[in-house]
Amino acid sequence: MKKFLAMVLALTLALTMVGSCALAEDVTLKVWVGDNADIEWINGVIDAYKAAHPDNNYTIDVNIVSEGDCKSTVLADPEAAADVFTFADDQFNDLYAAGALQQVMIDADEIVAANGGADATVVLAASKDGELYAYPATASNGYFMFYNKEYFTEEDVQSLDKMMEIAAAAGKKVGFPVSNGWYLYSFFQGAGLEMHINEDGITNSCNWNATDTAITGVQVAEAILAICANPGFTNADSDPFVTGVKDGSIIAGVSGTWNANVAAEAWGENYAACKLPTYTVAGQQVQMGSFAGFKLVGVNPFSENVGEAMMFAEFMTNYENQMGRFEIRAEGPSNVEAASSEIVKSAPAIAALAAQAAYADVQRVADNYWANAETLGKILVNGNADGTDLQTLLDNAVTGITAAPIQ
Amino acid sequence: MKLSALICGSSCFARKQYVKGFLITLVQAVLLWAIPGVFWPYMSKLGTLGTIKAQKTFNPETMKNEWNDYDNSFMILLFGIIGILITITAVVLWLRNIRNARDVEVTAASGKHVNSFRDDLADCFNVKFHRTLLSLPVLGVVMFTIVPLIVMICIAFTNYDRNHLVPANLFTWVGWNNFNALFDMSANGAFGYAFVKVLTWTLIWAVFATLTCYFGGILLAMFINNKNTKCKKLWRTLFMIAIAVPQFVSLLLVRNFFNDQGIVNTICANIGLTDWLKSIGAIQTNYIPFLTDARWAKPMIILINMWVGIPYQMLIAYGVLLNIPTDILESAKIDGANAWQSFKSITMPYILFVTGPSLVNSMVANINNFNVIYLLTQDVYTSTDQMMASANAKEVDLLVTWLYRLTQEQSNYKMASVIGILVFVVCAILTLLAFNQLIKGDKEATFQ
Repeated sequence: MKKFLAMVLALTLALTMVGSCALAEDVTLKVWVGDNADIEWINGVIDAYKAAHPDNNYTIDVNIVSEGDCKSTVLADPEAAADVFTFADDQFNDLYAAGALQQVMIDADEIVAANGGADATVVLAASKDGELYAYPATASNGYFMFYNKEYFTEEDVQSLDKMMEIAAAAGKKVGFPVSNGWYLYSFFQGAGLEMHINEDGITNSCNWNATDTAITGVQVAEAILAICANPGFTNADSDPFVTGVKDGSIIAGVSGTWNANVAAEAWGENYAACKLPTYTVAGQQVQMGSFAGFKLVGVNPFSENVGEAMMFAEFMTNYENQMGRFEIRAEGPSNVEAASSEIVKSAPAIAALAAQAAYADVQRVADNYWANAETLGKILVNGNADGTDLQTLLDNAVTGITAAPIQ
Repeated sequence: MKLSALICGSSCFARKQYVKGFLITLVQAVLLWAIPGVFWPYMSKLGTLGTIKAQKTFNPETMKNEWNDYDNSFMILLFGIIGILITITAVVLWLRNIRNARDVEVTAASGKHVNSFRDDLADCFNVKFHRTLLSLPVLGVVMFTIVPLIVMICIAFTNYDRNHLVPANLFTWVGWNNFNALFDMSANGAFGYAFVKVLTWTLIWAVFATLTCYFGGILLAMFINNKNTKCKKLWRTLFMIAIAVPQFVSLLLVRNFFNDQGIVNTICANIGLTDWLKSIGAIQTNYIPFLTDARWAKPMIILINMWVGIPYQMLIAYGVLLNIPTDILESAKIDGANAWQSFKSITMPYILFVTGPSLVNSMVANINNFNVIYLLTQDVYTSTDQMMASANAKEVDLLVTWLYRLTQEQSNYKMASVIGILVFVVCAILTLLAFNQLIKGDKEATFQ
């Protein structure tokens, strides 16, 4: 009897073991991509992923949540957010603070190495305290200068003054989104002033109103006022930029890869791109800085299949799929190997970003920056119509930018 | 009867009301299980809204995250409040049950008929039919209005914002802090400054939007109703088209028309209007900032609102006009009153009397007129007021759009909650005042 029991037990055990090995696991993943145009690419990625992991039954649902809005959608209910989502790196801080980013626990060192090592800007943009919390996906989310070769030589586009002079003479415009905090940063950062988030992750420090620096805040504000008043200049955010390029009124402008197709179509052979130019402040030529921009892929820590989600995110951002994304969507890869391939380097927009990279900072900004910088930019675009003292204007802006949230 | 304090159905059993007794005991059992078993864990933490922060470790074996038994402040608040409501209900039911048991005992002692379960059921569709009808709506109101309302009011007294988002973080009570911040009128109080500005514009907007649409609608209805007007139906239909198109479509289109680079600006530039305005100093820019400068945007918004709002009022006024007793108008005419006099003394008072309550209603609706303001200015308007920018407000914001952007863009639920409470207070005060004035006395007699 005992023997019989033992045999039955052994058999059951064996059967369960066989069963657990042979039975494919059902894995369901929800993936968010940023744009309708990404669907073709992500479907290819999913098919390849399924082919690479034939053991499991994958059900992978794709939805569209724009990279710019990803944060608000995720934060509204982190537990209901997708397992894998794509976001622009400016949202990293808030997503991290809300506990909505899973630390990369699988192959973290390999991913860091593939993207240029621990000191690469894209890795810094995806890390907190030296730990990787997101997967670098693209390195082309920053901004640079588009221009029309019909009007400008490569020499001309080195200096904003020269560009505005040519544009004014031709009755055209050079566009720059001054009333947008993301771009306004260029002027102040270029002049050596600082604005970044504090250690606490909630407040900013900012010295845009400094009076004791080599170039003072007021001098930068005066320079921006002069640029805005120039007949060859227009304040042009994305929509006006597109309109202006299409109707021919804008012959050069600062924007990002998302408008590369518009410029390429409108200008054809004459389409070109380069780093941001220098501008005149306090009598000197100063190179404009910028924010570096990346798209990152995050994994939801509340995911039921967090391990699988990490593996999918890693796969989605590997060399092959970044190359695929470049081919389909013309987005520059963050993967070093992919970025150094000839075909990528020959794209004008991506070459321009690479040239700007030396002057670009990782974007680590607390939210109080945006509305205040936008308003400062708008006031300057309007030519400081109320005639407020520039120092007061900058003092107010800095107070707003550095304010602590109500506790 | 005394036993029914312990087992609620016992008195019914004693009177042979078995079904009723069973049902009452069942409800008691469920409540006795649910209150300590389900709600007490939440209710007990209401004082702190939770203390255990979420922590996880990734288990490489199972490829899953293992979480600690963490507190979710929002769930504690929600289920804690539901728990309290259920407990209060349970106590009330318990007390009433004891009283019922006594009543039935007295009835039985006096030898009268004691209702059987069937009698009770029949009562539900007979004597107490109003209760049967109302029970479902009341339950709905409690679940979908009262409970969320209490939770929202409570959030105004917590620090629930982007730095305390659940479930990864906890939030807790902060007393009147948020209200103090909103009423802080000192130089550093960005919220206080913005609140006064936004409230002022909200009231100005509500008055203008309501009055322009109201009188515009009445005038339009009178023009169409005039006996000299031909093709009345055609005119009516034409004006209706403006409201037949969803506002999401029409307002976004209008926003593009009036954009800085939009079609209206192109036309104005071509006919020389832009240059003329520039030469007299009305604008500094090379375009007319219809929706991007506070001085232009506010009148523009009111004008555009007339376009979408007047047809509604026209419909209402049209119906009322048809109902004015013609004998009054005719006798006025015979007495030698001209068109203006009969409008002023007969038509207008009549319409005002009939549509007065709806005027108040549209005033309150305009205070909360989210669509027009948000769709026309979102992504277009940038504030040039630095103090307002610090509070994430814009000059053209109503309280309700400010509230919306605080929650959607800033995850600032605590301040949004405070503003929500104040919107309610403003609307309540206005409604009370207006109704008292408009519906005072019995004016109906005047028109008989």
